[in-house]
Amino acid sequence: MTASPSASSPVQRAPGPAPAANAVIAVDDMRRTFTTGRRRRRRTIEAVRGITFTVARGERLAFIGPNGAGKSTSIKMLTGLLRPSAGSVRVLGLEPWSQRRALSRRIGTLFGQRSLLWPELPARTSLATLGAIHGLDRPGLGRRITELGELLEATELLDRPVRTLSLGQRMRCELAAALLHRPDLLFLDEPTIGLDLLAKQRFREVLVRLNTEHSTTVFLTSHDVADIEHVAERAVIVNHGTVIHDSPVASLRRTLLTTKRIEVGLARAQTVADVRAALGPDIGPVMALGDRPADDGMPVDGIAIGVDTRRQAIGAVLDRVLRHLAVADVSVADPPLEAVIGEIYTRPAATAPAVVQSLRDGPS
Amino acid sequence: MWRTAWAQALANRRSFVAQMAVMVVNDLVWIFFWQVFFRRVGSVRGWTVDDMMVLYAVLALAVGLVLGALANLRFLGPLVADGELDGALALPMDPLGFLALRQVSPVSVGDIAFGIGLFAVVGHPTPARTALFVAVTVAATAVLAGFLVVLGSLAFVSGTGGAGDLGLSAIIVFSSYPINIYGGALRLALFGLIPAAFVGSLPAQLVQHPSPGRALLLAGGVAAFGGAGWLSFRLGLRRYTSGATWTGV
Ligand SMILES: Nc1ncnc2c1ncn2[C@@H]1O[C@H](COP(=O)(O)OP(=O)(O)OP(=O)(O)O)[C@@H](O)[C@H]1O
Ligand SMILES: [Mg+2]
Repeated sequence: MTASPSASSPVQRAPGPAPAANAVIAVDDMRRTFTTGRRRRRRTIEAVRGITFTVARGERLAFIGPNGAGKSTSIKMLTGLLRPSAGSVRVLGLEPWSQRRALSRRIGTLFGQRSLLWPELPARTSLATLGAIHGLDRPGLGRRITELGELLEATELLDRPVRTLSLGQRMRCELAAALLHRPDLLFLDEPTIGLDLLAKQRFREVLVRLNTEHSTTVFLTSHDVADIEHVAERAVIVNHGTVIHDSPVASLRRTLLTTKRIEVGLARAQTVADVRAALGPDIGPVMALGDRPADDGMPVDGIAIGVDTRRQAIGAVLDRVLRHLAVADVSVADPPLEAVIGEIYTRPAATAPAVVQSLRDGPS
Repeated sequence: MWRTAWAQALANRRSFVAQMAVMVVNDLVWIFFWQVFFRRVGSVRGWTVDDMMVLYAVLALAVGLVLGALANLRFLGPLVADGELDGALALPMDPLGFLALRQVSPVSVGDIAFGIGLFAVVGHPTPARTALFVAVTVAATAVLAGFLVVLGSLAFVSGTGGAGDLGLSAIIVFSSYPINIYGGALRLALFGLIPAAFVGSLPAQLVQHPSPGRALLLAGGVAAFGGAGWLSFRLGLRRYTSGATWTGV
């Protein structure tokens, strides 16, 4: 590695093969390295190591990866906040880092917990101000705010000081700010992080509605598998700065998201073996909840059941659980992202050796 | 934008009046001190009580304008270090302008009113002097703003943003005394490094004893520190978008 790749001028590649005419994002071998520390403690981090993909107008894409995978770094390069170390990036035909101002008029961005709203004021006031910055005329702006209030189910929230809103409510107002200028393309970096289940669900619905009714292209990052299922039509899974999987969610559901996890709180402590016996022989794997060592024969008060949804309907398994166990509490969850990623690496066909290598060497 | 920032600031009205009162009392104590002091000694290295009052009026007004109308400039460092810049960069507006105008601090209205009041009462305001006073105040404000932007931009390199507040305290302390009491290297530093001379003494001298040389010097100070502020933010932004600023987010 050179001593300071960030300071040297990036190697701009010639644009690759012309992307499909309706591509709104075209990324070719995008890379980003960071150097941290001084002198002897200098370290080079390859946050993004050669990502290539295109996004068509109207897609809903989830950019999924664990912590440190390079999601934020990628989305910053797509929105012009960060200059790629190498590779080419085109968003709506513009080069984001050199044409950031022009791009900002056409895209909406929402970065996790960052706020553009004035906390002491009603969101409506902030929206009016931000709208003016976007150069919207006053009557049009008023109409737009009303419209967004309805679309985001936030009409009554717009008149309360932002400080007094819950995180979920505030995020909907922030989203309104990102949408004021009717962007064709919306970037969201971990928008659902920190929201409770209900707020997450509502936020996801809004994104889907935005996409289906206004054909806004949605590009969001997340490390929540549920965001793939409930928002995206296409999932790009990144790990250690590379894309390890890119497919429509429908096919993902058939190949990778095939397991669900039912967690059951038991009203009476039972041993795992007893639970297994009660549920019948063809039930999926049953484990004790929490960090109990596997099957020590002691009664437990919580269990988890893995369900292969290709073989068994979730409802059928739930049915059996409710019928045969003394249930205090039950929930159905997606497998954790780590499990999905583990699955990708162990599936023989999809795994190129280089990818496995980067998993081993990757920054942790 | 301006109005919104005002509304935001006024939302906390309770503490506002008290804070402003403290500020004005603080200013009055200073004035009282200098009045008593000069009554005893007459003048200090050519500085009379009148010179001192004009200095204080310019200083109060410049500080009030920068900290009041452009309240965020003082916090530019922390804003950069905490990644607040990202939001500003997503808007079709100059990010420095957005951050600077985003916050006002009405408490500083106390300083502004005080500066104007002081000049009106003890500044012997003739039309010519008033015009001069306004001009030098604008210059002092520009120098102070430029200085704060330079300090804030240090956060692009260091990743932490403490320099702004420190520098602000330093420049206010140094500009509260006549430049003539500082000798040699320190005096030079107050022109070149911490531009206290351009915020207090030089503007006051220009009002009291106008001369082309002084006017030129002040204009030079404005150009230098305004330019330095603009340039350091530009360079810092370039560093930021090239990923060399570690914001920890
Ligand atoms: N400005 C920077 N300077 C140095 N290292 C950085 C910088 N920005 C990001 N990194 C590093 O790059 C890697 C990728 O970070 P990034 O923020 O893109 O991950 P992420 O996928 O968004 O993770 P998370 O889920 O935690 O948000 C991390 O190891 C991070 O520490
Ligand atoms: Mg991130």
